[in-house]
Amino acid sequence: METKKIMWMLKKDLMVLWRHKPRLMSLLLFPIIMITLFGYGMGGSLENIPVVLVEQSEGPITDQSVEAIHNMSLYDVKAVMDDPDKAREMVEKGEAKAAIVLPPDYEDLQTTSQKDVVLYVDSSDQMASQAIIPATQGLFNQISSELGIKRMEMMGTASNGIGVNSTPVNPNQAPRLSTSLQNVFYSINFQIDKLYGDIDYIDFLVPAVLAMTVMFSCMFGMGESIAGERERGELARLFMTPTSVSTVVGGKIISKLIIETGRALILIIAAILLFGIVIKGGMGLTLFLLVLSALCFVGFGIMISARVGTQEDYMQMVMPFTMPMMFVSGVFYPLETMPWIFQQVAYLVPLTYANNALRSVMLKGAGIGDIWLEVLVLVGFTALFFALGVTKFNRDI
Amino acid sequence: MKYAIETFGLSKQYGDFTAVDALNMKIKEKSIFGFLGPNGAGKTTTIKMLTCLIQPTNGTARVAGYDVKENPNEVRKIGMVPQLVSLYGDLTVRENVELCADYYGMPRDLKKERIVELMELVDIKYAENKMVKQLSGGQKQKVSVVASLVHQPDILFLDEPTIGLDPSTKRVLWDLIYDLNEKGHTIVLCSHDMYEVELLCDKVGIINQGKLAAFNTPQSLKDSLIKKYTSNGPFKDSSNLELEVDEGEVENKQMSIMVTNLNRDLIKEIEDLPSVCGLKEHSSGRIIMDMDDDSSCAVNDVIETVLKNQGNITSIATRDPSLEDVFMKVTGKDPGE
Repeated sequence: METKKIMWMLKKDLMVLWRHKPRLMSLLLFPIIMITLFGYGMGGSLENIPVVLVEQSEGPITDQSVEAIHNMSLYDVKAVMDDPDKAREMVEKGEAKAAIVLPPDYEDLQTTSQKDVVLYVDSSDQMASQAIIPATQGLFNQISSELGIKRMEMMGTASNGIGVNSTPVNPNQAPRLSTSLQNVFYSINFQIDKLYGDIDYIDFLVPAVLAMTVMFSCMFGMGESIAGERERGELARLFMTPTSVSTVVGGKIISKLIIETGRALILIIAAILLFGIVIKGGMGLTLFLLVLSALCFVGFGIMISARVGTQEDYMQMVMPFTMPMMFVSGVFYPLETMPWIFQQVAYLVPLTYANNALRSVMLKGAGIGDIWLEVLVLVGFTALFFALGVTKFNRDI
Repeated sequence: MKYAIETFGLSKQYGDFTAVDALNMKIKEKSIFGFLGPNGAGKTTTIKMLTCLIQPTNGTARVAGYDVKENPNEVRKIGMVPQLVSLYGDLTVRENVELCADYYGMPRDLKKERIVELMELVDIKYAENKMVKQLSGGQKQKVSVVASLVHQPDILFLDEPTIGLDPSTKRVLWDLIYDLNEKGHTIVLCSHDMYEVELLCDKVGIINQGKLAAFNTPQSLKDSLIKKYTSNGPFKDSSNLELEVDEGEVENKQMSIMVTNLNRDLIKEIEDLPSVCGLKEHSSGRIIMDMDDDSSCAVNDVIETVLKNQGNITSIATRDPSLEDVFMKVTGKDPGE
């Protein structure tokens, strides 16, 4: 080993790094961003899942139950109301992940009928629903036991037990969802209503993975397409001809978009064939969303590559955007489970809107009317990126 | 008189550094103009501004009748052979050239015909289906020239087109430049090769530290170094924008004379002439001597001395200033430095 030569090589690399400020900034910031996201955003358990609570009676048992729900860090009670339909609507609109509906006879210990506690859960968010269902079930099991003890004290007999009878609303799901706990007198009948049926983690993951794949391929691809061509001098040949920046950018967009549309189709077909994914909404709308997402990320790539001179600089500049975007946009975990600050950041990045829209269409069967806001935001981001990309594009060779 | 290129205080600033400083020059239509200057003098920056690859910081220029600031897309109809070959390595020679033709919006039939004609002219047709990344430097340069000429531009800029090329490939390009000029194209040739410039160019501009330091025909520039010896001064062009080189010393101004009956006394007498600075070599009857620049009759003195001593002169030669001398005089540097 020639130690001196190795030292010289090291010195050269450090000098190059020092002189390429985007690379240096990325080197310093990227690990900090990533460790912060992992540490604060992803490292903990699921917490603060937004739920709504429906109280249809008043009294100590209701108060005790509501207090118990409030005390659990899993829930973030967004609203307490008395209308079960409105609560269900909030879940359907995505304003809450679940609605816990306490029955009108919740306070009545004398009645012999079952108390039907209903849980409406947004099953399209597989992670959230998987956490909410057993936790809520466990909570009401405990409440039911306490009620049973009270009941026994009132009746002066030990022969009566109180438990939770958990049954799904949908009879087709009975074998999997029903957990009969105790078949006893005065039980709470805990009903689970999965609004979008049974959804596996892979179903939850696929729409976001589609959007994420489109994001990575578009953004990394634009590095090769513009910064790479600029670095190799190929872009110079184009700029020697009577060709405007907007034409160059337009050409890059169209060619990238066609490639990405092909990739999106392959992704969807692969997801259907390999994982049996069912797209509940329209196939056309799904494809439209993927193409719109591709357009948006191509715009992002053009914006970054507008002024950088080398592909290496471009890659170092997009990394601090792409990787954190992947983690904060709810690809793997629901947004609501992240710290407040990351949730705010999530709504500043386009991937969040692409994920939400694709999940709504693919898992909930949403139409364009349900996702117009996400579409509008994606269009807005796209227009902004292109405007900045074209106006800031460095034509100087 | 029509000018293909006119610059008006053309300047380019990079931070505190002035790459090109208020350049004013006019290049006639259908001429071959040689643009010289040491490395970093501002040649390529000027060419880039004239071809709309970069924007001037101040001033402007008219190329082919169009202002580089106001009508850049019209200006871009010129041809440009850049210093660094800018072709798509993963495309074949033909695909690269066709792509360029398409960028210029050439009709399909004309495009095909023109591509074949040009590829044959520069002798690269045999490699038309090869990937550009598989070609040698010279072959790539030929493709670059074809790609730049495919749309038949009126003005062609060549930025050091023959650098690193073998003599035969250089000849091919020189012949092409001649042919194009004869057909009425204006050529701007940026080069460090003084022989090439002297051979090809009608007029030469020398840029130094961003400023135009000399501008005239190659012969006039050379003559300007020895103009005090001539009765009428160097040839003057009608353009009032010409910049001549100050008269002055030509380094190693030499004279060589061959005398069949050369002897020691004659050598001593020649050496003692006031117009001779020193003998560099004397063998086999030949004397090579450095001449006094201030003497206008140094050659006469030597001939008279030889004849007076019954010397028999068989050959005589003097070395005139070259373009390289002019370059060194103007810039204080060797070409390519």
